[in-house]
Amino acid sequence: MADLTQLLLNGLSIGAVYALFALGYTLVFSVLGVINFAHGAVFTLGAYFTYLLIGGAVGANGLLAGLQLPLALPFWLALPLAGLAAAAVALVIERIAFRPLRDQGADPLLALITSLGAGVVLVNLIQLLVGAESYAIPTTALAGLPPAIRLLGAQVRTVQLLLLLVAAALLAVLSLWIDGSRSGKALRAVAEDPTTAQLLGIPSGRMIQIAFGLSGFLAGIAGGLVGLSVSIAGPYFGIGYGLKGLGVLVLGGLGSVPGAVLGGLIIGIAEACVPAELSGYRDVVAYGFLFVVLLVRPQGLLGRVLPTKV
Amino acid sequence: MRRRPMARRLSLLLTGLIAGGGLLSGCSRGDQSASGAVNLKEGVPVGAVLALSGNANVYGQDQRVGLNLALTAVNGSGGINGTPLRLAIEDSGSDDPGANAAMTLQINRGMLAIIGPTLSQQAFAADPIAQRRGVPVVAPSNTATGIPQIGHFISRVSAGSGVIAPLSIAKALQLNPGIRRAAVFYAQDDAYSTAETVVFQKALSDRGLKPITVQRTNLADSDFQSQISSTLALKPDLIVLSLQGVDGGNLVRQLRELGYRGTIVVGNGMNTPNIYPICQKYCDGLLIAQAYSPELATPANRAFVQAFSKAQAAGGKGTLIPPQLTAQAYTALQVVAEALQRLDKRKPLKGLSAAAARTALMDEILGGIYQTPLGEIRFTPEGEVVQKDFFVAQVRMNPGGRSGRFALLP
Repeated sequence: MADLTQLLLNGLSIGAVYALFALGYTLVFSVLGVINFAHGAVFTLGAYFTYLLIGGAVGANGLLAGLQLPLALPFWLALPLAGLAAAAVALVIERIAFRPLRDQGADPLLALITSLGAGVVLVNLIQLLVGAESYAIPTTALAGLPPAIRLLGAQVRTVQLLLLLVAAALLAVLSLWIDGSRSGKALRAVAEDPTTAQLLGIPSGRMIQIAFGLSGFLAGIAGGLVGLSVSIAGPYFGIGYGLKGLGVLVLGGLGSVPGAVLGGLIIGIAEACVPAELSGYRDVVAYGFLFVVLLVRPQGLLGRVLPTKV
Repeated sequence: MRRRPMARRLSLLLTGLIAGGGLLSGCSRGDQSASGAVNLKEGVPVGAVLALSGNANVYGQDQRVGLNLALTAVNGSGGINGTPLRLAIEDSGSDDPGANAAMTLQINRGMLAIIGPTLSQQAFAADPIAQRRGVPVVAPSNTATGIPQIGHFISRVSAGSGVIAPLSIAKALQLNPGIRRAAVFYAQDDAYSTAETVVFQKALSDRGLKPITVQRTNLADSDFQSQISSTLALKPDLIVLSLQGVDGGNLVRQLRELGYRGTIVVGNGMNTPNIYPICQKYCDGLLIAQAYSPELATPANRAFVQAFSKAQAAGGKGTLIPPQLTAQAYTALQVVAEALQRLDKRKPLKGLSAAAARTALMDEILGGIYQTPLGEIRFTPEGEVVQKDFFVAQVRMNPGGRSGRFALLP
């Protein structure tokens, strides 16, 4: 029983990160029908913003070497602020990499490339400004809490448990907002058909901005939490999570919010099920599982098959 | 209908990229750097290929400090018989393609010797390029088995893990003779880690400690919860890591957070103060064998430590004790500079072609005896370093857990 609990906790804690990440992809995909490849860079920025807001100093490399903000916020205040800062960056990305193409009626495929370009520029900008060295959010950020907690016979790091709880809370709030609020319903209407939504008086452009802002906020929060859990391994550290998030997005069903959550948790648990001695191959298991599911359900677990329009 | 122009544009773009790539690769063929005379206009050219970005950047940064200190020392004492030494550092990233590209670029620029690459994994990819083109390589940090054996032009000042790694196991058992259950972790996608773990596992077996579990990780891993849970269930009292700084630092932190209190021995990949911000207070107590001691009482080491401390203090840095990787990088450039000085006296560089200078320089490198921060070193004909003194250190973190030191054990 303890072993099963341990396995579930291990899987859920990492799966929650994947789910948060994939939700950001999903929000943008649902309204624009394209994947925002700059999402990983925004995730990375969220981690750096958190680090700086808690009073972390920039290392010896980069143009901002030695920089330290004249404040040292507690982690729980720094995290949402970092999320907001990441949301602002996501809005800028929408403005420069997506909107100009949308305004000109360009093929959505091109937005893949512009978002990829924006992501590459952001990552390189991070490297230019703060160097490529690793940063870590001090373990004292969780002062007062034990480093690990025993739960139903399983041992789990406190930070992992917090990550799981915060992710669950954010997912719940987001789901309630999308299903229960007027603006959430407006977002769904835009996702269904932006032109019709516009004709019905829903400001499609504004809803797209909201989707980008929320997506950036989630990425920023996820980046800050992962930065607390493990180190920030340089400007490229969002790439691995980005790839996994893409897998989760596809597994859950493109554009499906519950699908992103389910996909994240399934991939996390699938990875945790890999015997420890073979953990080095857990990506193979995760992507192999994804491959098999897609062969059986190409639309993903909770995705819809859209009828072809003539 | 709407998609046809797009498809045509995309195929044109792809054709253009392929054609452009072919042209570029054609441009890079042929070694024009070797046939001409050595270019001494801006000094005697020596290149370095360091991992300044990516996962291994923690090492490249230590190495860059060492190279710059050595460059200052060499040029401060007259350079290469009056001509300044010119050092060009290229970032290889932390992967094989990056190392290949940086190595090729440095060779094409006419560098007489190359210091680097940072990782053994990168060396196995990039050193054959230097070997084919007859350019001496002095590796400052490659410890995997087989590096000097890549070819005549490849040497190293970093002693192989076969020599160093067993020392820390011996020290761990000396400090705690009651150790009975050893667990091993290594990164399966990294040449250094896979080579070092073989040495560690043999050292353990030789002492009757067959590992109770061997956990394979990947360099890019950062979450080890599953593997740690599984390992701790086996109740180890010694854990041996062959990992790089970032993944290793994260694993140490998570091991301690999940309640492991036993001894941890780490390999050369974690031989850098840059692990301190990663595992923080949990770095305390790590055992590591080293090829360098800041306390070595030789004139060469005293001068190096003094220069390092002065530079760090001037830069407002906290670490005043040089790490091993910095000392080894300093040593690598010192070796190349001294070999160049001897070569230039025998055969003036300005009269030699780059190819002839490179070949003669390799012979000089292998034939010399050097008084370095690592102590006196020389090379076997194969290019393997011969070094006398090795040490075992224990990490001692300062209160607050943000900085610390490698304290040498008697």
